[in-house]
Amino acid sequence: MLKNIIRKEILNNIFSSRFLVTFLLLVIIVLATSVILTNDYVRKQDEFSMRQTERENYLRDYAHFNRIGGVINPAQPPLAFYSLIRGISLEVNIEEFDNDPLPVMFPLIDLTFIVTILLSLIALLFSYDAICGEKEEGTLKLMLSNNVSRAKVLLGKTIGGTLTLLIPFTFSLGLSLIVILLNPRISWKGSDWGALGLIFLAAAFYVTLFYCLGILISSRHKTGSSSIMTSLFIWVLFILVIPSLTPYVASFFAKTPSKIKIEREISRLTDVERDALGNKLMKERQQEVLKKYPNYGSMLSREERQRMIANDPEFKKADEEMTKAENEAWNEANRIQNAKVKVIRDDQDRKVERQMKLSIYLSMMSPLSSFTYLATDLSATGMRNLEHFKRLDDRYWEMFGDYAKKKMASLHELDPTINVYNSPVDVSDMPRFQYSDERLLDRFNGVLPFLTALIIFNILFFSAAYFSFIRYDVR
Amino acid sequence: MWTIARKEIASNLLSYKFFIVIVLTVILIFTSFFIMYRDFNERLADYDIIKPTSEEAIAVLAPNPLSMFSKGLDEAMGRSFESTVIGITVRAGQKSGNEVFSFFPTPDFMYIVKVVLSLVALLFGFDQICQEKERGTLGLMLSNSASRATVLVGKWVGNFLSLSIPFLLVVLLGFAFVNLNRDIHFSANQLVRLALILCVTLFYIALFLSLGILISTLTRKAAMSVVALLFIWVLMVFVIPNLGNLLARQLVDVPSVAGLSEKRNQIWTREVLLGLQDRNWVDHYSKINREHGLLEEDYRNKFNRLVRLSKNINRISPVSSFVYAVTDLAGTGIGEEENLKKAVISYNNSIFPEISAAVVDREPRQYPAFQYRYRELSEVFARGTLFDMAWLIFFNILFFALSYMAFVRYDVR
Repeated sequence: MLKNIIRKEILNNIFSSRFLVTFLLLVIIVLATSVILTNDYVRKQDEFSMRQTERENYLRDYAHFNRIGGVINPAQPPLAFYSLIRGISLEVNIEEFDNDPLPVMFPLIDLTFIVTILLSLIALLFSYDAICGEKEEGTLKLMLSNNVSRAKVLLGKTIGGTLTLLIPFTFSLGLSLIVILLNPRISWKGSDWGALGLIFLAAAFYVTLFYCLGILISSRHKTGSSSIMTSLFIWVLFILVIPSLTPYVASFFAKTPSKIKIEREISRLTDVERDALGNKLMKERQQEVLKKYPNYGSMLSREERQRMIANDPEFKKADEEMTKAENEAWNEANRIQNAKVKVIRDDQDRKVERQMKLSIYLSMMSPLSSFTYLATDLSATGMRNLEHFKRLDDRYWEMFGDYAKKKMASLHELDPTINVYNSPVDVSDMPRFQYSDERLLDRFNGVLPFLTALIIFNILFFSAAYFSFIRYDVR
Repeated sequence: MWTIARKEIASNLLSYKFFIVIVLTVILIFTSFFIMYRDFNERLADYDIIKPTSEEAIAVLAPNPLSMFSKGLDEAMGRSFESTVIGITVRAGQKSGNEVFSFFPTPDFMYIVKVVLSLVALLFGFDQICQEKERGTLGLMLSNSASRATVLVGKWVGNFLSLSIPFLLVVLLGFAFVNLNRDIHFSANQLVRLALILCVTLFYIALFLSLGILISTLTRKAAMSVVALLFIWVLMVFVIPNLGNLLARQLVDVPSVAGLSEKRNQIWTREVLLGLQDRNWVDHYSKINREHGLLEEDYRNKFNRLVRLSKNINRISPVSSFVYAVTDLAGTGIGEEENLKKAVISYNNSIFPEISAAVVDREPRQYPAFQYRYRELSEVFARGTLFDMAWLIFFNILFFALSYMAFVRYDVR
């Protein structure tokens, strides 16, 4: 019997005009999006490799340790998933003078948009009259006059309806994958396919939950015209309102200090105040060394110094100690100031993280947010990847720190008078930053809460629909 | 005609649809006003902390009170731009730490109108003709001496009034609430802008109402009409404006922000390194400023081309015209942001000799405060808003005329 209901439901939907419209709309939008996004991805790749070349050119001519940090700052290469999911676009970053405000005005459209907004709306459009429509037509009591339980009818309707929705979605997604894979510049790894499979599974849950919601609403109404109103009302709240409101609400409860003020304070601590402290410490240490070597004159020109070092072993020793003392003074100043900065930064990070956590939890009231986080995190285009990238970034700087220390020591050995920070160096042996995706298993573990939320919504709406339906007056 | 309009209002008032719609509008507008108001207050408090002193060469713009209604790019415009010898250092405000903000659109008045009110207006229009036909009252109505044009106009006016009057009341109440705070002042000019925004909003609502009626006259059944309308709505509100942006990017090559900041870094570190060798600091500093200026100019030119193109593609959907008109009127649009950037650059160039001299001789200087004047209304109008308003009116007329044409040929039986 269940099979019969499912079949009836599928056939009924497939031959309706809304199915045709849905099919066409989905195919056109998904295809257009994937063609455009794939082109965009290829352009991003070109641009990225051009940037790498420019950086190498720079490093060949002007590399020096003092200011190299900003130049070799690790950059995120374009991700394979960009041709489907844009995620948190790093372009929106507004801490640069030349920002790109267009995505702020009109958020970009991608697979997440298609699932969260289009598919949820379509699911409701297919299900808002699942019960009350049949009641109005009089077929509901006919169906129930057979030897079939209401639970089976409900289950059959849900399965049949969801399957019909997944047909056009799967078809259009398949088409877009063909477009993507036909492009010779794009190669997907096994983990990318795994992530896509999981995202597809979550999309199926997402569609089912909206279908159940539609049935729930439908079994609370006598007529289709009032059922569609309620459906749209709830859709607007879930999809358009709650996700937008929650970060603001969270920011009222978990406040973060003014970022501009903190950044200014930090730059004062590491610049003006550090220089003052460093100069003070350096003078103190220099005095100590001069006490030991009263004959040492530090105000000599570089050539004179080099000559003295070569000829006078006593001077050489003094010079070495002086350099050491000066370096120690500056290291000490850097250490003290960096410790102050760390206190401020840690406090800021803690507060921001608290606010973010609260925003995420609050926004999970809406299935849209859960799916959005899930899809972006699995495809490595979301918040999780920003953290992952930060970890890689930290690791790179550690590696670079080791390299810089060794290199500077070897430079110093070659010429003890050299200013190791401000002299051009050959950095062809410097480690380069390599981006690698987070392991799929870790990503999957990270998105488990969101997946669970989607499943809970499913159970909740289905059981609510069941309880409404068993009490439904079918006449 | 007035009888028909009155009948429409009366039947609307009693319907479930009207109840749902009004509840939705009231809740949304009030929450939006409240949230944006709190957000604005916080940004205002932030601004008080970061306001530059005369020894700091920093340009910061106070938050714009109209951003409560249309936030647009106000967050980007309220950043602090610090002029230094190695370029303009930009620091972003509050929202930049919490990445959840960048996932979802801002729930301001503009967004509520753009997305929700348009849907609501469609829902008012979707069953106007076909439902009366289904019920059989359409034939009755036309058996009177009323012409079809009168019936259509009467329906339009009745529905428009029953939608816009509660809406305006709610907005005015919300506005009164915002005005209770003494820290927030609206100048006469801003009030005029606000009135114009409301005016554009009414055009926008009217347009979707007409569209709803048009589809209703083209379909036989209300159920079919609502499906068709929702798809058109999704296309107009979400798909076209967003795809337009992406499409324009395919046609205009704009360097990426990350790439630009890398270039800027390379320029200043190079010049500082060269400066350490020849000690000719003033020259190197001005070279940094000059090259950064060139980069910025190149980017601006390309970006402006992109904006122009994407604007024109996006205008296929009147929703984009609405967004452009409202953000430009509120002074939070793309044009205003560009203007602000220009002002920041010319401020930077005017004080640059002082800044580099201050670094060379290590003496703090006094800098003139950064002044910014929002673009005049006349300029805003000339730069596209007038066109956008006309475009909205054009769509209004188009949809209404089409629905008239469809209605005179409609089989009322």
